[in-house]
Amino acid sequence: MGEQVEHARIADQGVIHAEVYDLGAQALSLVGAGRGLYSLFVRTLYYTFRGRREKGAVAAEMFEIGNRSLFFLCVTMGCIGMIMVYQSGLQTQRIVPDFSLLGPTYLELLVRDFAASIGALMLSTRVGAGIAAEIGSMVVTEQVDALRMSAADPVDFLIVPKFLASLVMTTVLIVIAGTIAFLTGFATARIFFDVSADAYFSMQLIDAGDVITGATKCIAYGGAIPVVSGYCGLSTHGGSEGVGWATTRAVVNCSLTIIIMNFFISGASLMIFPT
Amino acid sequence: MSAAQPLEAPRGSIVYNMLASLGASTMGILEVVGGMALLLVRILSRLVRLQLDLPEFKRNLYKMAVKSLPIVFVVALFTGAIVVIQAAPLIKRISGAESLLGWGAGFGVLREIGPLLTALMISGRVGANNTAELGTMVVTDQIDALRALAIDPISFLIVPRFLGIIITLFAMVIYADALALVGAAYTGQGFLNVTPRTFYDGLTTLLHFSDVANGLIKAVVFGLMIALSSCHFGLATTGGAPGVGRAVNAMVVAAAASIFVVDFLVSFVMG
Repeated sequence: MGEQVEHARIADQGVIHAEVYDLGAQALSLVGAGRGLYSLFVRTLYYTFRGRREKGAVAAEMFEIGNRSLFFLCVTMGCIGMIMVYQSGLQTQRIVPDFSLLGPTYLELLVRDFAASIGALMLSTRVGAGIAAEIGSMVVTEQVDALRMSAADPVDFLIVPKFLASLVMTTVLIVIAGTIAFLTGFATARIFFDVSADAYFSMQLIDAGDVITGATKCIAYGGAIPVVSGYCGLSTHGGSEGVGWATTRAVVNCSLTIIIMNFFISGASLMIFPT
Repeated sequence: MSAAQPLEAPRGSIVYNMLASLGASTMGILEVVGGMALLLVRILSRLVRLQLDLPEFKRNLYKMAVKSLPIVFVVALFTGAIVVIQAAPLIKRISGAESLLGWGAGFGVLREIGPLLTALMISGRVGANNTAELGTMVVTDQIDALRALAIDPISFLIVPRFLGIIITLFAMVIYADALALVGAAYTGQGFLNVTPRTFYDGLTTLLHFSDVANGLIKAVVFGLMIALSSCHFGLATTGGAPGVGRAVNAMVVAAAASIFVVDFLVSFVMG
């Protein structure tokens, strides 16, 4: 109530005041969220090395995150593989009718960026939303408070197994899904542009820099998804509407985190590994 | 699922379990597709008779489109930058390819990356939010209350949201295309020393309106898929607060999968 009175008082002072007030409130909440996220990340790392581990918890999460996302990820990445080769084939056709570099260029792009980034965007919808929904409904049904009362830190008990499982499984899933995207791309190149297998399956453009960049992205995204969506889940409040909100925020924030991280990792790799 | 007893099947064997889970997931997918098709028919039957609640429609447009602008802004700028960073080694390898940067980035952004990433973000922000809202209404019996008051929930709640999502995505893709190209132009200047002027020359001489139109048609189709899956999973919510979370989760997965499959189909049909 106090906040509303305050808001009405500010609004009385004119539009500019109200705008500045809103901007400030948003900036403060952004800073607060950043601090919360950082604190959760540090606690996750701390409990990863020091916490008590429930037997089988990590394996169960690995099944939940890895095996159950495999089909979804393969379908979407298979589709994107076909689309990308088709579109870049069309591009090549307009300029030079020479498809000998289509496969190697596509493979380089896949290893360096697309497999990890598109795959992680897909995982953030499936895994991130799942984690936020699960933890969010535990928060509104007071199960997380029950954990705290039993002297079990919810970060140790809920987030750390998901964090470890996601670190491993994101990398595994992205390697599998990337392979599938490369193979469906080959089918498209063969059927539409008549590219031979010898020309397509060539690793001539892959160097250590590409592989290191791709692997860095896998690990960074794999760590970010459970931490960001776990933060959204733990900060749930207010019944079933709150759970819905938390899940929505998890998807948006995970995607945003991935896109921003991608920009910085790609930029850094361009400077570290100049071609 | 346990209604029909198999005659001689060895229950509990691996093959039996695999077949059972395959059948169950096939039935699940068919159920979702059928539900979405029925919902589309119901929505269209209200639309042709112009039965929609105008104030609710305006409220939704504001909430969906205007409130999404900041996130579309950030995502589009970064996307444009990433496209150029990924194209950089290619441009450096081929001498004299600087003039092609605008064309390459424009082709990728306008036809593929712009609509696709905007659709994924709108599906997360607007579609998931809408599912959560409808799901909460379902589990708190507000839809039944509407029916009890003789208000048609489809024309009062669903049609405004359905139209709102499609219009939102269309408008946001236009914004995102423009912003991504601005981001790409200035990243090209920063990383590759390609002046924005060269960038825009490459963009305008080699690309045609058909490239832009291609992306905008995709935006409408993606919007349709997001709107349908968002409304369907919202209305099909069961089981309290955890049910709402599950519904939102199922919605984002279904929307992402259908966006990619439809993208593939549309790309091939339009060439």
